[in-house]
Amino acid sequence: MAVALGIDLGTTNSCAAIATPTGVEFILGPRGERVHPSVVAFPGSGGVVVGPDAKRYRLTEPHHVIHSAKRFIGQNIRAPLVQLALTGVRYKIVEGPNQQPIVVVRDRRMTMPEISSHVLLHLKRCAERQLGTHVQQAVITVPANFTDGQRQATKEAGRLAGLEVMRLINEPTAAALAYGFGHDRQQLVAVFDFGGGTFDVSILRLNGEIFEVLASDGDFFLGGDDLDRALAELLAAECNRILRVDPRPHAALMMKLMMGAEAIKCHLSENEAAEGEIDGLDMPNGQAGRLPFSITRRQFEDLINGYVMRTMEVTRQVIVAAGLTPQHISEVLCVGGSTRIPVVRQRLTEIFGRPPNTRINPDEVVSQGAAIQAGSLTNTLNAGTGMGARDAVATSAHTTLHGVGAVQLQQQQAKRPILLDVNPATLGIGTAGGFSERLLDKNSPIPIEKIRVFTTARDNQTRVEIDCCRGENRRYDENEPLGTLVLEDIAAKARGEVKIEVCFRVDSDGILHVRAIDQASQQRQEAHLQVLGAPSVDGAEDGGGGGEL
Amino acid sequence: MTQDELIEWATRIVHRADPQPHQLLEIKAESGLDDAQAAFHKVARQAHPDLHRNSLSAEQLELVTSAYAKVAGAYQDFRQLALAPRPKVIEVKGAYGTRNVPPPPPVEEPEAAPQAGGPVGQMNSKAMLHYRKAEMSLRRGELKTAVLQLKMASAADPQSKFVRIALAEVMAELAKSGG
Ligand SMILES: Nc1ncnc2c1ncn2[C@@H]1O[C@H](COP(=O)(O)OP(=O)(O)O)[C@@H](O)[C@H]1O
Ligand SMILES: [Mg+2]
Repeated sequence: MAVALGIDLGTTNSCAAIATPTGVEFILGPRGERVHPSVVAFPGSGGVVVGPDAKRYRLTEPHHVIHSAKRFIGQNIRAPLVQLALTGVRYKIVEGPNQQPIVVVRDRRMTMPEISSHVLLHLKRCAERQLGTHVQQAVITVPANFTDGQRQATKEAGRLAGLEVMRLINEPTAAALAYGFGHDRQQLVAVFDFGGGTFDVSILRLNGEIFEVLASDGDFFLGGDDLDRALAELLAAECNRILRVDPRPHAALMMKLMMGAEAIKCHLSENEAAEGEIDGLDMPNGQAGRLPFSITRRQFEDLINGYVMRTMEVTRQVIVAAGLTPQHISEVLCVGGSTRIPVVRQRLTEIFGRPPNTRINPDEVVSQGAAIQAGSLTNTLNAGTGMGARDAVATSAHTTLHGVGAVQLQQQQAKRPILLDVNPATLGIGTAGGFSERLLDKNSPIPIEKIRVFTTARDNQTRVEIDCCRGENRRYDENEPLGTLVLEDIAAKARGEVKIEVCFRVDSDGILHVRAIDQASQQRQEAHLQVLGAPSVDGAEDGGGGGEL
Repeated sequence: MTQDELIEWATRIVHRADPQPHQLLEIKAESGLDDAQAAFHKVARQAHPDLHRNSLSAEQLELVTSAYAKVAGAYQDFRQLALAPRPKVIEVKGAYGTRNVPPPPPVEEPEAAPQAGGPVGQMNSKAMLHYRKAEMSLRRGELKTAVLQLKMASAADPQSKFVRIALAEVMAELAKSGG
């Protein structure tokens, strides 16, 4: 039987699962862990190390440990936010062909999909060991606001890991699926996903087996890392005041403070105050320093208030975009490690007038949804999967159910879930006068197709360029260019006489395909737009082309 | 819905000439968002391409996907109308800009560009800067500014044949438009 893995490929942590006849089974790491750090190390001693072991090299060989690759995958390295994110990593990233970021470790150059493929390969191997069978197919989750380029690059990572990526689904949608599958619910739910590097919020209508996303939005550069950084800066100031050393220019020292900050942050989710010392600080004078700290939850909340407010603002906007008010929503699902912060839950309670659901496991629910979708696409779900999924969602204790005799009890076919996900951004084309004509709206259901007929602007025009862009602005220049499709050798006619049919299709993975047809000659041009920052289609580093469309 | 009925439905949808949203959803013209949603969910339950990926041929699946995707577009029209009833802005339908310049030269990236902003092609970087500005002006339809920028590009890199051709073409364009 074909086994298809559901994978939550996170910025900080990844998680994988499969749907079995009796539930959802998690893929365990070498030490039995269900959550796998998305960290890849290339230690001096040779080889590639992934997961918890890779994390241990962070202090000894920070330049050889690649973390947060998801912040860079499929991104244009010249984008301002990417430049900013670059300041937060200790490993080396340079600009490669097609403006894609390239990781350099010693003399080895690797694309971001290559880095992520190591994480995927690790999960694939763990799964194969655990299940005793080959695993070749997967559903991988991505943040709802991932762009075309980021999606293409994620698929590429899967391909490099030897996986057929059957589908990319959005993380919040996957969480809603895990929550609702097998329950036949009629309900409006909000999914608030606040992880290590990204923030997403989606509103869904559950209508039996239908999971319809009504609106989704987020901030690709907002997550727990930012909170760590805010706290680390406070610690740096303390270091300066108490130890009389400004740690900011010292990479290893700052790394230690960041790690200390994360530990303090997590402690404050459970406790009212954190007090102690960060020791083993390598001071510039060669001695080991220790930095005492004392911080209350209240102080921490003030420190991160701006970030939390930003997430709430986006949440309010999404509710409006869905055409709803908070009162309509009867369940709020919290996903991602950062939703463990009490003030985040408090603010959500204030907005929705009800506390968020505390029964789902914020680290695991996304991979559960991915596993259910993978089971659905391979048509291997049955009613028992839903029951098991319910258990897995409701409790955090979990027993491995795979291969248990109880399978026979539930052989009834489950209703396959139907995901009506949405397109994350408005897509349009450039028209005369420098305007952008919208073809597909943000939040429209996918797969979707829209066709428009355009005409030439001048007499005897034989060549037409169709500039595609992403963004809401009326002016073309103010949007993000995606690429250009060229139609040539059009019959010379008076302006307005040539009819060109432009078809935009966004597929179920959220990837755009553009097609243009000259109606007279039936000449077709099809393009899979090559986005800046994405690896080239053949996956090689020598991407070239696509740059200046 | 049997497979034959599914294919028949998809063929009907795909071949409908110039359809109105309600025709694709196969509902009455005066239907509201609720009707559209019910109709769309019904289509999803029967015809969502995911439900048929293992049972249809590649061609049939493409037909069903295309039909489904068109109906999704129609449903979105209903949503758009209901959610954002904004006044219709002036339509800039139908026309492309007067961009008749050749595409920019293929940009050959050095192995690793050390800093951002330094692509080198068939012109030097200073010329490229002016060329980019010219291109922006062209998009806005400002031919005169474009000519000026291309002249500056040509001055910055007199060797570049590419810039000279672009300049000649845009100047011809300007002359034609009587500017
Ligand atoms: N108890 C906690 N309190 C606050 N933050 C936490 C807690 N546990 C984990 N986190 C934070 O959650 C983030 C990781 O969340 P996760 O959902 O795994 O992210 P991603 O999906 O982006 O990989 C990290 O920034 C981590 O510090
Ligand atoms: Mg996550």
